[in-house]
Amino acid sequence: MSIRDRLARTAAVEGAAVTVAFIVMVVVFAVSSPFFLTGQNLHNLFVESVFTVLLAAGMTYVIIVGGIDLSVGSVLGLSAGMTLMTASKGAPLLVAILVGVATGLVVGLVNGLLIAHLGVNAFIVTLATLSIGGGALNVLTTRVELTGVDSTAFTNLSQGSVLGIPAPVLMTLAVVLLLEFVLIATPFGRRIFAAGINDSAAHLAGVNLRRLRLQVYVLSGVVAGFAGVLLAAHLNSVQPDLGTGFELTAIAAAVIGGVSLSGGQGSVWRAVVGAFFLTTLSQGLQLLGVDPTWFTIVTGVSIVAAIAFSRGTQWFASSLRPAAPRPSAPAAEAAEPTHAVNR
Amino acid sequence: MSVESNNELASARAQETSDKKPVLEAVGVGKRYPGVVALDDVSISLRGGEVHALLGENGAGKSTLIGILSGISAPGSGELRLDGEKQEFTNAAQAQNLGITTIYQEQSLAPDLTGLQNIFLGREPRRRGLFGRALLDEKAMRSRVAPLLEEFGLTVAELNQPAGSLGALKQHALQILKALAFDARVVILDEPTSGLADHERLSLFDHMRRLRDRGVALLWVTHRLDELFGLADVITVLRDGRHVAAVSPDTETPETLVRLMVGRETPPGVSGASSRAKRWTGAADEILRLEGLSRGVLLDDINLSVRRGEILGIAGIAGAGRTELARAILGADRIDGGQIHMNGRQVRIRSPRDAYRHGIAIVPEERKSQAVFGDFSLTKNISISDLRRTSTARLVIDRRAERKQANEYVDKLGVRTSGVSQKIRNLSGGNQQKVVVARCLFSGPSLLLFDEPTQGIDVAAKSDVYRLIYDFVDSGGAAIVISSELPELLRVSDRILVMREGRIVGEVVVGGDADLGSEEGVLAEKIMAMAARGGAA
Repeated sequence: MSIRDRLARTAAVEGAAVTVAFIVMVVVFAVSSPFFLTGQNLHNLFVESVFTVLLAAGMTYVIIVGGIDLSVGSVLGLSAGMTLMTASKGAPLLVAILVGVATGLVVGLVNGLLIAHLGVNAFIVTLATLSIGGGALNVLTTRVELTGVDSTAFTNLSQGSVLGIPAPVLMTLAVVLLLEFVLIATPFGRRIFAAGINDSAAHLAGVNLRRLRLQVYVLSGVVAGFAGVLLAAHLNSVQPDLGTGFELTAIAAAVIGGVSLSGGQGSVWRAVVGAFFLTTLSQGLQLLGVDPTWFTIVTGVSIVAAIAFSRGTQWFASSLRPAAPRPSAPAAEAAEPTHAVNR
Repeated sequence: MSVESNNELASARAQETSDKKPVLEAVGVGKRYPGVVALDDVSISLRGGEVHALLGENGAGKSTLIGILSGISAPGSGELRLDGEKQEFTNAAQAQNLGITTIYQEQSLAPDLTGLQNIFLGREPRRRGLFGRALLDEKAMRSRVAPLLEEFGLTVAELNQPAGSLGALKQHALQILKALAFDARVVILDEPTSGLADHERLSLFDHMRRLRDRGVALLWVTHRLDELFGLADVITVLRDGRHVAAVSPDTETPETLVRLMVGRETPPGVSGASSRAKRWTGAADEILRLEGLSRGVLLDDINLSVRRGEILGIAGIAGAGRTELARAILGADRIDGGQIHMNGRQVRIRSPRDAYRHGIAIVPEERKSQAVFGDFSLTKNISISDLRRTSTARLVIDRRAERKQANEYVDKLGVRTSGVSQKIRNLSGGNQQKVVVARCLFSGPSLLLFDEPTQGIDVAAKSDVYRLIYDFVDSGGAAIVISSELPELLRVSDRILVMREGRIVGEVVVGGDADLGSEEGVLAEKIMAMAARGGAA
């Protein structure tokens, strides 16, 4: 096998390109800044990336099924606010956690019912709940003082560690592993892919699309709610604009990881790699002392570069593979699956 | 016109044909992908005023050849000649500008644009306005197509409608106008008759004759051998990417053509049939009974029953409500009234999911958009209908069991594939269809609905699909087969219900052991009469 063939094979492995891009970035940062690979910095990196990682993991489900969930940014902030409020009123930790998660569940349920049962466009529905959730947090912060909770249990949630690994990282790891397992190994996960690839066919093959979509939006809401709980514990204070913009970061993370926005393709771990990519990037830029006013520009360019690199590798891989046996009729091939059913 | 003059005409035309200069030629073209030779040293020449038929099984290289002729893919070897001169197209638009238009089997019109907008899409005549020649010149468009409208059965009103709201035949007519509006010299038709009812096919053939008489060179791909005779002037047969024969229809029969395509003797009853061991003879328990099923204006008081071991055919022209009936039984559309009984018990079916639970599965009409999960492997395409069956504790999919089951079905149904982990999009249409049948069988149904089960698949695969239907009913199931091809219905069904305008207007019992050949014509006429307006109700 020639080197070219070997390269093509490696490139064809799903998610290889973004992983390579990630490693390259880490190496660049490690070389340019002596602090990048220190224990403290890595600790911060992991702890600060869990929120994007969780949102991106939940978002993966929604995107694969062929939808989008813009509301997760608000859910993150609102559920952090609800958690902190409950904890500050002296409720036990478990209750505070449940309130936070339930906040996400309610928003997810509203999203799911409107999208799956009334057939309203997912983008519009979640844009509306994004707005409503953000407003609710604003109202909440004006009514209640959302700062410092004096509870060791609550502090342990973010400060605790097992074998030196921070508790939020461990919990996030558990959630991510569970989500990935459910997606690839259960009938539920398989149906999500099926509905994303061809919803008409899934419907006619006996998949209950309404229930499936409802479940997926609820799941995304719950995961975002849990991320909010961790965020509340991490900050121990909630500002009115908390969570703003996180939804777009989560979507960007999923896409960088190679989750296809047209549905039917992707995996949780790839979205997680994408989330790490973005968090590492912003942290690395800070370490390098890049002027903060340039951050968003550099971030945008990096996203484009990462995707271009990933697509380029795929193109390279496919150029050495036999094409589909029926290369003609691209008009027919390009036809999107019909989305007429139950939308 | 006397027979003699007819013959003279024919020979005169033959003479003319051989004299005609080829418009578009492919000379020794080949195309290979790593590991696959899609096309190998194929030559074909298309002459003006000639209908050139292209035959071959799925995977024989027809699509690749069309792709090369229409500029979509470049030939790996060999060359294309236009009017005898070497020509290289790098894309479809370039080929179109040189007068080569392709009309695909799946409609390539923009469904939401009007007919007129579609005809001139991307090549709209402009007129002078505020910003130079920036405005569309609708008047010029209209005047350009006006003289052609009537000839191809379109009205001005239809030209103003969204193309998607027109029937398949009218959409074909639009595409023909699109070709003619730009002085097409070569028109390539990729299975234009699939999805057309019988009388519509005849109109399309008239359109094709008109194109021919205008001196256009036609390349026509079809799976239906009976269509060729009387229309095709030359037939080219491909097999496994190679040119097998260029023959005249005068010297061939459907049987000899099939032999050329398949390269081996085919079982008796060639044109897509395979004989069924025993026909259903009546009196077995009822699987499905519909009482007064209604849905808006689409389905009106449908009463029918299907018994164990029976194949019930549903005939009717497009729009008669056949697909709607299947969808109503399956719960894909909500019904307004009536009852559904399965195995003697009344059931409520409000979604396909319910239908599967009650033992009903469907092989849908549109394979690509409604049946196949292109990015899924064969295994996943099969197991989706009953994921719990291969799951441990109904929770976690047991991949090994899943693959094993898929392998069994693939073997049993004779799917030609390199393995069950292959993506289904890489299979031919016929093999995809078998996988869809396998999916249905996987859910363990007692009633299978087949909507146009052999649309767009080749002859050998057709008889395989018939065999699957027979095997299913012979092992205790019941089947409802919807088809626009009457010969197919007559061969497959034990009984045929004829639908018209959402109602069942007649029933025909297909004789079991009688000589089908003589009976078929009579039954077909009877069905046609009922399906069209004015037949006996």
